[in-house]
Amino acid sequence: MPMVLLQCDKDIPEREKHIYLKVDGEDTRSFLPISNAPTIPGTLSERGCSFCGAKLVIGGVLKDTIQMIHGPIGCAYDTWHTKRYPSDNGHFQMKYVWSTDMKESHIVFGGEKRLEKSMHEAFDEMPHIKRMIVYTTCPTALIGDDIKAVAKKVMEARPDVDVFTCECPGFAGVSQSKGHHVLNIGWVNEKVGTVEPEITSKYTINFIGDYNIQGDSQLLQQYWDRLGIQVIAHFTGNANYDDLRAMHRAQLNVVNCARSAGYIANELKKRYGIPRLDIDSWGFNYMAEGIRKICAFFGIEEKGEALIAEEYAKWKPKLDWYKERLTGTKMAIWTGGPRLWHWTKSVEDDLGVKVVAMSSKFGHQEDFEKVIARGDSGTYYIDDGNELEFFEIIELVKPDVIFTGPRVGELVKKLHIPYVNGHAYHNGPYMGFEGFVNLARDMYNAVHNPLLKLAATDIREPKQTPVKEAAE
Amino acid sequence: MSTEKIDQLFNYVQERCLWQFFSRSWDRQENLDGILKAATELLTGKDPARETPMDRLFYADAKIMVQDFKARFPWLEEAGAAQIRDLMHGLKDRLSEIAITGSLNHELNHTLY
Repeated sequence: MPMVLLQCDKDIPEREKHIYLKVDGEDTRSFLPISNAPTIPGTLSERGCSFCGAKLVIGGVLKDTIQMIHGPIGCAYDTWHTKRYPSDNGHFQMKYVWSTDMKESHIVFGGEKRLEKSMHEAFDEMPHIKRMIVYTTCPTALIGDDIKAVAKKVMEARPDVDVFTCECPGFAGVSQSKGHHVLNIGWVNEKVGTVEPEITSKYTINFIGDYNIQGDSQLLQQYWDRLGIQVIAHFTGNANYDDLRAMHRAQLNVVNCARSAGYIANELKKRYGIPRLDIDSWGFNYMAEGIRKICAFFGIEEKGEALIAEEYAKWKPKLDWYKERLTGTKMAIWTGGPRLWHWTKSVEDDLGVKVVAMSSKFGHQEDFEKVIARGDSGTYYIDDGNELEFFEIIELVKPDVIFTGPRVGELVKKLHIPYVNGHAYHNGPYMGFEGFVNLARDMYNAVHNPLLKLAATDIREPKQTPVKEAAE
Repeated sequence: MSTEKIDQLFNYVQERCLWQFFSRSWDRQENLDGILKAATELLTGKDPARETPMDRLFYADAKIMVQDFKARFPWLEEAGAAQIRDLMHGLKDRLSEIAITGSLNHELNHTLY
């Protein structure tokens, strides 16, 4: 029972290659969904654009950097504040949004002068900010605006500023994933190695692929502080621009999100000889394993065991309270890609939850190798799922709760199925020991909340004029 | 019996170890070689090298895996050094096949990251 053609896909049979139902005795040598491939015409994708992958996911997290978006105003607004990544400096990156606000005449006559003016305006308005990332968008890439040349000119005029350019218009790739790639490679090519950090510990790491969603990075930072490990750069949660220029000086790259940031970890290994250690930061068992590996690398195992014991003593009873009440819950995970493989075993081992369907917007085949190896038989694995497929899968597996983003979340709420925000969280952070208790609490509240069932009851008077569907 | 034991080790690695699924075939091969070598040494009472950063990385991954192996598979305690080497060799073959030679991942041999 390999790849699955759903009823709703009968007119786009190519979708069969993207949906897999695992059965006992099969593995990824026989069946691996096609992924990171162009969305098939006729399917309504939930994906984001490549520019979004660079700006919203990675660059926009930096807490001391102007994000100058060279394009129409919508590209700026739609990649601003929809992810909740706070910072410890008053959330500068979430308070402001910058755009060159390109209009028709600028598209016709070129937008470079407008970009240069906007960059100066932004630096003038915020004199304490000296760092900027400039992004192209679809229209400014199509008209050929040379943002690197403009950035160079502005840096010559302002010797105290540094500007990074990211040329990744929305159409550059099949999904957000291309934006991750372009920003990773651009940054290591142009910026890593241009700042020397102050070394304050014998043990130094970069923590890569964690974006401080509702404080994830800040929670994990408590662990690194207690272990005496200096984080040279968080890529990019709660990070400063210049931290990331010093990544070449870490002894170890610890990678959480291998999809959005595995590229820079690979390049740092290739160019600077820094080893790459992949860990899972969600879940008790996994987090403890990650800490043990990092401590084994540095030879500080005792410190690691002491930290794990303290955290278990504090949080495990709370986790177990939720586990008792969540065991047997059926969960669907419809997120970007890596959270499928980060979460499927952690919710099963730590909370007794069974994952019955998983869909990835921008995962590559590497992500499907990981998740199929970890996931259950009888579970659906979907690449680039669309709305009708979600409806059909829900009928097939009947999940009790769905972890997904607000777009799909609002959809499933209409079916009276609870959803928890799997991207930006409901009440995070979700990483680490404390974080996983937060995740369990949000899942418990979602599953046991009576409101969705009450909302499904039609309390209208029977004499009320019946509403007819358009097709009737 | 040996096949069953390799199956148990293989299933553990498939389920727990992200290092088998690195981005490119040469990264996967490097991890398989380094981590399984260090794990075999640990299981046979030797002390793996920890001189270079990569040595220490392989040691870290191998150490946690070996601890789990011993906790989950008590039969390992009774295995002799030669049998452990055979088992780990069999495990490496299985992992190489699923993660490298038999993998359907189209990006495995791309020259760039």
